Amino acid sequence: MNNLIPLMQREWLQHRFAWALLMGVPLALALLPLAFGSIEFDGPMAERTGSELALMLGFISITMSGAVIFLLVWVTSLFITSSLPRRDHADRSVEFWLSLPTGHAESFAAPLLVHLVLVPAAALLVGLLGGGVISLVLVSRFVGIGDWFSMPWPSVIAGTLALAGRVIAGLPLAVLWLSPLILLAMLANAWFRRWGLPVLAVGLALGSAVLKGAFGQPVLADTLGQLGRNAGRSLIGAGGQGMSINDHTPPLEAFAALPGWALHDLGAALQAAASPVLAGAVLVSAGLFWALVLWRQRGAGSTG
Amino acid sequence: MRPEIDTANLVEARHLSVSYGAKRAVDDVSFTIPKGRVVGLLGHNGAGKTTLMKAMVGLARPQGDLVVLGLNPIRDRTELLQSACYIPDVATLPRWARVEDLITLMDGLHPRFSADRARALLRRTSVGLRDKVKSLSKGMVAQAHLALTAAIDARLMILDEPTLGLDVLSRKAFYEMLIDEWCDGERSVLISTHQVEEIESLLSDVLMLNEGKLVLNLSLEDMDRRFVALSHDAAVAEEMAAGHPLLRYRLAGAGGSPYASLFDGEPPAHLQALGRRMRPSLVDLFVALTRKPELDRQHF
Repeated sequence: MNNLIPLMQREWLQHRFAWALLMGVPLALALLPLAFGSIEFDGPMAERTGSELALMLGFISITMSGAVIFLLVWVTSLFITSSLPRRDHADRSVEFWLSLPTGHAESFAAPLLVHLVLVPAAALLVGLLGGGVISLVLVSRFVGIGDWFSMPWPSVIAGTLALAGRVIAGLPLAVLWLSPLILLAMLANAWFRRWGLPVLAVGLALGSAVLKGAFGQPVLADTLGQLGRNAGRSLIGAGGQGMSINDHTPPLEAFAALPGWALHDLGAALQAAASPVLAGAVLVSAGLFWALVLWRQRGAGSTG
Repeated sequence: MRPEIDTANLVEARHLSVSYGAKRAVDDVSFTIPKGRVVGLLGHNGAGKTTLMKAMVGLARPQGDLVVLGLNPIRDRTELLQSACYIPDVATLPRWARVEDLITLMDGLHPRFSADRARALLRRTSVGLRDKVKSLSKGMVAQAHLALTAAIDARLMILDEPTLGLDVLSRKAFYEMLIDEWCDGERSVLISTHQVEEIESLLSDVLMLNEGKLVLNLSLEDMDRRFVALSHDAAVAEEMAAGHPLLRYRLAGAGGSPYASLFDGEPPAHLQALGRRMRPSLVDLFVALTRKPELDRQHF
């Protein structure tokens, strides 16, 4: 696995500008209306004033920005990974890559690690930093720039990092839950080329409908649902207790509770991972990964 | 168990076959490639050249024995590719990359790659380090690919139609760089190409495939000794035909003797008296050994 780092570097060299655009453009688009448009607050936000409103605006900007950029990049990455097996066929460079002394398994493992874990994690952090800039514009325009600088930054940063840490720690687990679907999509792309995803989608939908309608067995639909739900909960909201917030909770109190809540929530996600469904998913994924390696070993479809 | 090999041979194939489903692309071929040779692999489209080369770098699963640099290409592919480099075709470099990106990547991925040597070789070409592959012409891509590959301290280079689609200047530059910068008397090269005339002077040996079968495997010195061509007039064509030559053909631009007959071995003395002995070209031999016999009459 000595080649893992250079293979990951390949992803960076190939996709760095696309990633920069994917993260930079939404942040820039968010800044434009905030800089020149107007916002009206209603509900509990309208009741808050001064430093409390600045704090809420700041925190919401930072977390929302992080969440949006993270989800955008992660969903994009899921689509990118589905096309990994044949991505080098368009310019015929597959033969160049196959001529290098790299193992077939590591040639798949490196991009998966980059696209599904490292880049989304980096996107979350970039989103949070971008959110900091957005919060500066927002608070400056609607409250006052002084209120932005006088925000309780240690508490805001601690709460934000707790949430970010929670998501990043749960990311590998979410990938593990989704791994059968991700690898199935990759295998479908390897075998059916551009029709891979449609074939897989139709196959799964039909399979679920037939099993449920003809045999009264919703097992496929249930399993798919379970994989999706658990992947989402692995990222956040696994059901951990430890924090109770309502609209009237003082913000500083809510921030202080965040690290504890994040830890509990991660514990709940890990607890949910001790499941036969995940064990089965991992086993199926291992089989699918082996099939992909075998496909690449036989020339990655470059002979026909 | 690893088959025994002669260590002087970089490649040793015995009864090697490769099949795609029911189709046998390479059919029971046996050959060796010693060190320090430049071997031409010739054959028509679909003769099995690419398949044979892919088998040699572990990308096609063969039956029979195949040992390359003492290794099993399928089982030891990663280790093999550290000492055997392979240029599959022109324009296979990733189009998104800059040349310097490729140097960076190969430096990380190939333990025998020298980034400094690659940069030095690239200086011989018109390819810049900051150039994107997609902005390069076919010839420049081929030059860049060869420069990158020649910067690998390997023992065997396998080139599959490396100059396909290139103009004559690019082809010449490619082969000059190959001979000047890589061939050192210890390393061997296996080249498949359709431009037989252009590489004939570079080759030390030739392997000829026809419909998956090896129809010729000999050095060019032996070729000169074994095959004889006689140029002759049309008036003696019937006598020549009676001597069962491998090929009868018209000589391009010939003055006095516009025809030639190619024989495997010494032609009978009475035929030698009717014509003038000449060295057969590799192209003529290629045509003689790989064309369908039923076409022979139409050709002459």
